[in-house]
Amino acid sequence: MTEPIAYADANASRAFFVQMLTRDITLEDCVLDLLDNSVDGAWRSIGHIAPTLDDGADLSPFCIDIRADEGGFWMSDNCGGMDLQRAENHAFTFGRKDDDDEDRTGDYRIGVYGIGMKRAIFKLGWKVKINSTYCDNGIAKAFFVPIDVRAWMAQADTDWKFEIFNAEPAKSQGVAIEVTDLTRGTKSAFGNPSFQQNLRRVIARDYALHLHRGLTIVLNGVAVDASLITLLESAEFAPLRKSWDVAAEGGSVHIEILAGASAAPPDDEAPDEDDRGEERYGWYVACNGRIVLAGDKSTTSIWGLEGFPIWHRQYRGFIGLILFTSDETELLPLTTTKRSVDLSSEVFRSARPTMREVTRAWIDYTGARKQAREVAKVAEQAAKSVSLFSIAQNPVIVTPTLPAKPKIKTSTIQYSMAVTRIRALATEFGNVNLSAREVGMRSFDYAYDDMVGEE
Amino acid sequence: MPSFDAVNYSLRPNKTIQRAIVFEGLRSLSYALDWSSAAYIGFGSIWFADFVMAHKRLGIERMISIESDQIGFRRAEYNRPFRTVTVLNGLSYEIIPEFYDDPVMMSQPWVIWLDYDSELSDDATHELRGVVERAPANSALMVTVNASGKKYGADPSQKRERLRVLLGDVVPDALTREQLRDPDAFALTMADLLQQFLQATAENCARPGGFVPAFRAAYRDKASMITVGGILPTIERRDAVSTLVTEDRWEGFSDLAIIAPHLTLKELAVLQAQMPRSEVMDRTVVQELGFDLGEDQIEIFRRYYRHYPAFAQLSA
Repeated sequence: MTEPIAYADANASRAFFVQMLTRDITLEDCVLDLLDNSVDGAWRSIGHIAPTLDDGADLSPFCIDIRADEGGFWMSDNCGGMDLQRAENHAFTFGRKDDDDEDRTGDYRIGVYGIGMKRAIFKLGWKVKINSTYCDNGIAKAFFVPIDVRAWMAQADTDWKFEIFNAEPAKSQGVAIEVTDLTRGTKSAFGNPSFQQNLRRVIARDYALHLHRGLTIVLNGVAVDASLITLLESAEFAPLRKSWDVAAEGGSVHIEILAGASAAPPDDEAPDEDDRGEERYGWYVACNGRIVLAGDKSTTSIWGLEGFPIWHRQYRGFIGLILFTSDETELLPLTTTKRSVDLSSEVFRSARPTMREVTRAWIDYTGARKQAREVAKVAEQAAKSVSLFSIAQNPVIVTPTLPAKPKIKTSTIQYSMAVTRIRALATEFGNVNLSAREVGMRSFDYAYDDMVGEE
Repeated sequence: MPSFDAVNYSLRPNKTIQRAIVFEGLRSLSYALDWSSAAYIGFGSIWFADFVMAHKRLGIERMISIESDQIGFRRAEYNRPFRTVTVLNGLSYEIIPEFYDDPVMMSQPWVIWLDYDSELSDDATHELRGVVERAPANSALMVTVNASGKKYGADPSQKRERLRVLLGDVVPDALTREQLRDPDAFALTMADLLQQFLQATAENCARPGGFVPAFRAAYRDKASMITVGGILPTIERRDAVSTLVTEDRWEGFSDLAIIAPHLTLKELAVLQAQMPRSEVMDRTVVQELGFDLGEDQIEIFRRYYRHYPAFAQLSA
């Protein structure tokens, strides 16, 4: 090859990391990225147990305290802290170094790409201070890293570094992050009550497995309660639960799938005014214990693909959870934002046949149920909600066997009515939240009983 | 039945106190937000109590009252207290959106009080969302709704679900049964959530100055009612407004439902003669004065005696 005539500048720009990379992630996910670091710290402290449903890990000594308001963001934990060596060589580098052995030592962590913390703090604000208190051969030591993001961006040299200073050790070993001079978007979101509630919901959902193990996460002074998935179990209902290991390049991944009915399917298939309840159903994916996909009803899981129908209200009630666990975090099907799965991942694809089987079984049940609603309801009401952790191993999903019912000829009655009148009548029927369909059905039954009487 | 046929508006002491607090607050805010050409928009009914205050306390001239009832409309027209009050016949959720396309209305701040007689409804939240998103900069928005628990469901879980449908994400998953069951707690919880709904609406549409809460009170004459309100300032005025409403002497936020005791003129005069006072005012003090009242009643009087109305019968 001939000699190049010139070199195109391909150096990374500081502004790219601060202003561009932060656009690919939501603010909620930034907070979660910081939480992941704390959780990884807790996991390190208890000695790297594989985070499966049966791990028996006790995270109750650990607490992560977050305060987020218009004035700033503060997060502190007692999860062991980061030592100076980690800070010098790993925690502040942009992306994982090629020769980075430190993070490959099988500690079942969630942080994988080496981008989360930096991206998170850049998204949050302009003035950052990270403190760490850690144990070095039995002696408590501490340091802090102040970052003035504007000043850092303004530096022109290509030698990227942050200064580390000595600090007084805090009472407990852990990391404390303080971000002030918030970016405009962050300030607005932290002052938004609906953002605050949604952040709490996301934490409750995505760290449900850690919270169940006793981890405490406090958001603005109030502890977050886990929103744990439950599935119905009875003689006629049995969720699927099975697990296996799959070999992947450079190691192996443990896969566990649980799937079944979490609630009875709806009688009313028309969308109601509030479809919030819908959110919790669908497929969940957890990587090393952290939920990265929740209530998915898209082609990412199975719906609308490979001959499967797209999600419909009829399928409400179904929940499936896939747990991928590996000490080689890079093998997990995570995206960098930890908000979806990497569809090209062989590990993820290897779980799809089982996902298809259970999804198909549920679709068939909800179809058969339409012809035998009364029998189905009896079976559904008899089933008990069981926590994920208590579900028995079972290679196939079991649903009630429903009798085929002779069809009675029916017609549909449809009419419009002012919403205020529907609500008023719903209130008189005893529940202001009854769906319009339910109000219509009850009105018919009421008139029928009154004017026609018993059949 | 229209509420003006059900209630003689002038005989609701707690409503009167609450209205006086709001207008006193608005008066202090008016110095920070030039309302010399503002428009007052409300439901004046046939009594126009708030319109009288909007004009006398705030100096607002352009005033619009919305009245949906046909007879009410004729009576409202007849009872207009000032020449510059216009009464429009129709439903507010049809009339207010017309203002959004009216260059004259959009060129000046609004002081708008949506004083619904009824409980919060889907129409009302839709209307509130519209006002928060579209009202001109430096407007004030107040809303009053019935907050009787039974209007929102027969039991705590129905109430929780109903609030969720009406107010969306701001309603926490963990509302306690106590917050939903006890009538005063329910009213105050609902006031908090309604206020958060207004704040969230402003943030969700990236309204530059956002919504700064300024009023939140529960009161009860016959029905349990709440009033929530705030300012939609420009970004430049936001700090001035926030500072004002967080001062100690700001009376707009009440953690105690305003349920003032009915006092005779004699009791009122004797109690009032004790005010203002820095020493404790409690039941013992009142007993020493020769009569008796509950501690909560005394506290409400102590806080709001300056706004306390006195009613007497007049011959027409």
